[in-house]
Amino acid sequence: MRRFTLRSWRTAAALLVASAAVAVWATGSVASSHAAKPVRVAIMTDCKGAFAFGYDFDIGGAQAAFAKLAGGKTKNKNKPSAGMTGITVAGTPVQIVGYGCGNDTVPVAVTETKRLMEQLKADVMVGPLSGDEAVYVANYAKTHPTKTFIIGTAGSQDPTMQIHPKNLFRYHGDGAQWNAGIGEIAFKKLKWKNAAIMMDDYSFGWTSAAGMIADFCAVGGNIVKRVFPPLNTTDYSAFVRQLPPPNQVDGYFSAVGGTGTAAMLKAFEQAYGKLDPNQWIGNLFFGFLGADKVVAPKLVGSYVGGAGTGPGLKLAKTQAYENYLKGLYPKLPPDDLFVYNYYQAGAALVMGLQKSGGAVGAKLQASMPRAIPGAFQISNGGLVKLDARNQAIQDQYQLQLVKNSDGSVGPQVVAYVPAVDQSFGGLFKPTSPPPGRTQPACKKVKTPWQGKVKVMQGGKITNQVIK
Amino acid sequence: MILLIVWPAAGLSPYWAHQILIETFLFGIAAASLIFLSAYGGMVSLGQSALFAIAGVTLGNLATKGGPGGTSKGLHLGWDPTVALILALVITTAIALLFGAVSSRSAGIYFLMITLTYSVIVNLTLGQVTKISGFSGIGGINRYTPGWIGDIIDHPNRLYYIALGTAVVVYVLIRYIVRTPFGLTLQGVRDEPIRMASLGYNVALHRTLAFGFAGFLASLAGILYVWWSGQIAPGNVDLGQTVNLLVMAVIGGLVRIEGAWLGAFAFILMDNYITSNTHIPGLGFGGTLFGGSFNTIIGVIFLVIVLVSPDGLLGLWGRLFGTRRPWQWRRPPAAEAPEPAQ
Amino acid sequence: MSAYFTWRRLPFVLAIGVVVFAVAYVLFIATLPAQFGVGNWRTTTFGSAVHDPSNFLKIALDSITFAAALFIVASGFALIFGLMRAVNMAHGSFYLLAGYIAYEVQQGMTGQGFSLQSSDVNTWEWLLPLVVAAPCIAVVGLVVQQAFLRWNQGQELRQALITIAISVIVADQIIAHFPRNTSQGQRFGGNAVDLTWPGWTDRFVDLHIGGVQYSLARLVMLGIGVAVGVGLWVWLYRTKTGMVIRAGVDDEQMTSALGINIQRTFAIAFVVGSALAALGAVVWASQSNISSGQDGVWLLNSLVVVIVGGMGSIFGAAAGAILFAFVSNFGASYLPTTGSDCCTQYSSILTFVLIALVLAFRPRGLFGRGN
Repeated sequence: MRRFTLRSWRTAAALLVASAAVAVWATGSVASSHAAKPVRVAIMTDCKGAFAFGYDFDIGGAQAAFAKLAGGKTKNKNKPSAGMTGITVAGTPVQIVGYGCGNDTVPVAVTETKRLMEQLKADVMVGPLSGDEAVYVANYAKTHPTKTFIIGTAGSQDPTMQIHPKNLFRYHGDGAQWNAGIGEIAFKKLKWKNAAIMMDDYSFGWTSAAGMIADFCAVGGNIVKRVFPPLNTTDYSAFVRQLPPPNQVDGYFSAVGGTGTAAMLKAFEQAYGKLDPNQWIGNLFFGFLGADKVVAPKLVGSYVGGAGTGPGLKLAKTQAYENYLKGLYPKLPPDDLFVYNYYQAGAALVMGLQKSGGAVGAKLQASMPRAIPGAFQISNGGLVKLDARNQAIQDQYQLQLVKNSDGSVGPQVVAYVPAVDQSFGGLFKPTSPPPGRTQPACKKVKTPWQGKVKVMQGGKITNQVIK
Repeated sequence: MILLIVWPAAGLSPYWAHQILIETFLFGIAAASLIFLSAYGGMVSLGQSALFAIAGVTLGNLATKGGPGGTSKGLHLGWDPTVALILALVITTAIALLFGAVSSRSAGIYFLMITLTYSVIVNLTLGQVTKISGFSGIGGINRYTPGWIGDIIDHPNRLYYIALGTAVVVYVLIRYIVRTPFGLTLQGVRDEPIRMASLGYNVALHRTLAFGFAGFLASLAGILYVWWSGQIAPGNVDLGQTVNLLVMAVIGGLVRIEGAWLGAFAFILMDNYITSNTHIPGLGFGGTLFGGSFNTIIGVIFLVIVLVSPDGLLGLWGRLFGTRRPWQWRRPPAAEAPEPAQ
Repeated sequence: MSAYFTWRRLPFVLAIGVVVFAVAYVLFIATLPAQFGVGNWRTTTFGSAVHDPSNFLKIALDSITFAAALFIVASGFALIFGLMRAVNMAHGSFYLLAGYIAYEVQQGMTGQGFSLQSSDVNTWEWLLPLVVAAPCIAVVGLVVQQAFLRWNQGQELRQALITIAISVIVADQIIAHFPRNTSQGQRFGGNAVDLTWPGWTDRFVDLHIGGVQYSLARLVMLGIGVAVGVGLWVWLYRTKTGMVIRAGVDDEQMTSALGINIQRTFAIAFVVGSALAALGAVVWASQSNISSGQDGVWLLNSLVVVIVGGMGSIFGAAAGAILFAFVSNFGASYLPTTGSDCCTQYSSILTFVLIALVLAFRPRGLFGRGN
């Protein structure tokens, strides 16, 4: 150890002094803000990668609930992430201590979750945004029972079904629930018998596809081919050619998301010619998250799986919600799944804190509402209920891409699916394998909503069922 | 050093002890393996994150259990965690030796690229082979630690001391290895591969063994990482994370082993505190720089570091205080191993 | 005989054997599965080329057209890398920025605020975005080179890290500012958008071989790729600037000693290289789409193509692009389907394993000059 000279010791000493200084500053600043004992809330979302635009949508959604129900004052109505002050619930101040900045991958979710929950000492997390992040957060929740987690928009099934920590709540449907009823529409309205499916090869793609497959097979449809291109595929042509040509199947389900949807559809057009809207049904990536500008114009008339919101639904409470959001954050689309689902999560948190009297930890977890009102919820007395696994039982709306009067294209509600639960009539169980490339198998089962999918006209639910 | 030992025991800022410092120690180990290859073997590797992830995934598959309360992904072999730990280290080192053998004839920028290819292969393999990982990876691994370590979730101080101890051992081990005959030969191979070959040394073998050793170090970091974070996923070995490791090593200086921890420390601080800093006007939540977020600021700071200090923070320190001659940045050795006789 | 076959050559012989087997597999061995979800090592999606020549031809065309796009982007990277030994890690960011700029211009010209049908776009409305985006990115490239890289010449790793820092900044700025053109004031920062090929490309061409109808847009893409290749070849091998550049690749110090302004040459290379990234972005954004996060994907694509091909050689970049495209597309089409979740999705892994093997046998790439 002769080389262990003064020089390296000096380096080490300098490093330590510097770190100690920063640490003292860090602890100091944390201690000073502890005086009022506020409830510390963190909002976990993405700010990099494919869903970077979700940052202000998610933050805006959650904060809109705090503004409406807990007196929050927004700092900048055009930029929700500028912050919010003055939130008080049951006499206890609520402080938003930080916004998480993920990039749709797990390792970044790890550091961001730890930063929010441990450095910024959040008591409650609202988020995350995407499926794989939620799988990590659920595992994290299991080892941190005093903290409370309310999922923002993540659609993977595992967090509530397989992992199921007691301190994790999800007040919206998972990716499969969002697509409930869409298979019945394909089978009955479009007369599909045999369909092929293309899905992103990761947990949200599988879960979303699982909803389509389960619903389509439940009424008697048959899935003849499943193709799963990896995420970040550059050239979709090789995967598109694996699909049976348009004259050999009745239709195609798509659960290819975000960055790949337009690339996949263009590759399809170049392989088989013009897209026939009657031969395509997509998940939310056909109509939401900016897809209305990229994908939807190619597919006017196609049916699209929803995400718990009903764009164009004409109910007084829906319009009240939309108007409130428009007033608070005029640049956010209120019917967007990011905005609405984070709003619901924020609202649930406020209700939980009201009941717990501002207490957090086990008391807050016990006080978290078992049912919350929803702007798009009709069944169960207008309440989104939680099942025994803290997973929402929620009405779903299936959509159709229509041309608006200004020439733009967007999703409109066409079907109402009441009270969709996570199990799909027993198909999905905690002991069954989570959705995957081959899961679920194509099985004819009886889902609770089968035959009860209602036709919607002009934004109103009719008594007619889908035939 | 003493401060590092007593710090967590004194109960000062658990976030610092259990997050920032553990992360610094373990990423420092991975960066040290990179610096070891670069400083003593003349090989700048982007494959360390691949080996890091292989160790984590192996442990995750061998040690975790499925079923209720278990994790939802992976093979769930449920073996004894100690056995799994040893196997993870052995398997990773073996793969590192294989990787090292395949790339032993490459040099300079080509070595950088072939090792990047390893990381891409591991990234894609973990992402696509859903039996062993899948895109969301394996979670909850930190619940399955060996009995002699015990519960690191409720006692994160244990993990802190294990990480600290491992980091110290790695530092001492590298300092020792480079002074053994093997280490001296390796430095000869770095500077004069052709001359060493004509002196009868097996250049490829030395490079392979050095890569294997560095792989072993990276696997230690990988194990510590899955215990610290509980999970491992393909995202741990994507382009961004792979480059981050190189960035840590370069911030540290790429020439001195202790620079690895300094670089990791600086990087992790930057990542944590800039993202959540609310004190500096214009930097806080949604604070703007040309409309961008704190990522722009992180990029600018990183740009300044590489611009003003070619040999990292250690070099900057040396120049500011004159304790050391500025280290000249030099090209990787231009010559490479002779082609095998055709 | 024994002199010819030695144990040293065994890996090489094995590699040749694997290639021969792969070709034979695609041509003859592969068969169609009897029904979906069952199969063995011989069953593939399409069956062998002998049985199903038209699909084989289509996949080959898919591959070569994809290779053309890869080549356009990667040739710019190769030019910079070959001449300056500078790994421009911001190449993917330049690509992304160019794609978004072109999108804004096309949307501005057609004034829709959302994705267009091919029939809405004429040739001019495709060309002008390109003509705007390419010089923009060329200027960005020039600024980066002059401000940050010029005085670090020869410090490869440092240059790589500087460009990584730039790519972090550019990625964040893209999310902050693009896409700008929105119909209802809602900003989806960094969201996926696409350009549209001009209307006349939106049809199928009858190739009169095996009844194959093939997309004209993809053939146009191939044509652009070939034009870029020929143009680069003429420039590098038939003009004085090109000769200076090639001399610089071989011996930078000697070239400067001859009184040639090598700095000016470097600047030209950076300008052209960045403009090629922009051209590639416009082509591929028309073919598929662009979105935040694809900068990393295209950086990796460029790296791989250039490294496999061998640095500094446009033939190398072309060979690398063709190899990359063929292996990934044929892998996705002709890997066995032994059950319902195997194995076509492993094509990307196969691609990179192959690349590692190429580098193991030829450390300087297929067309790289070793010493």
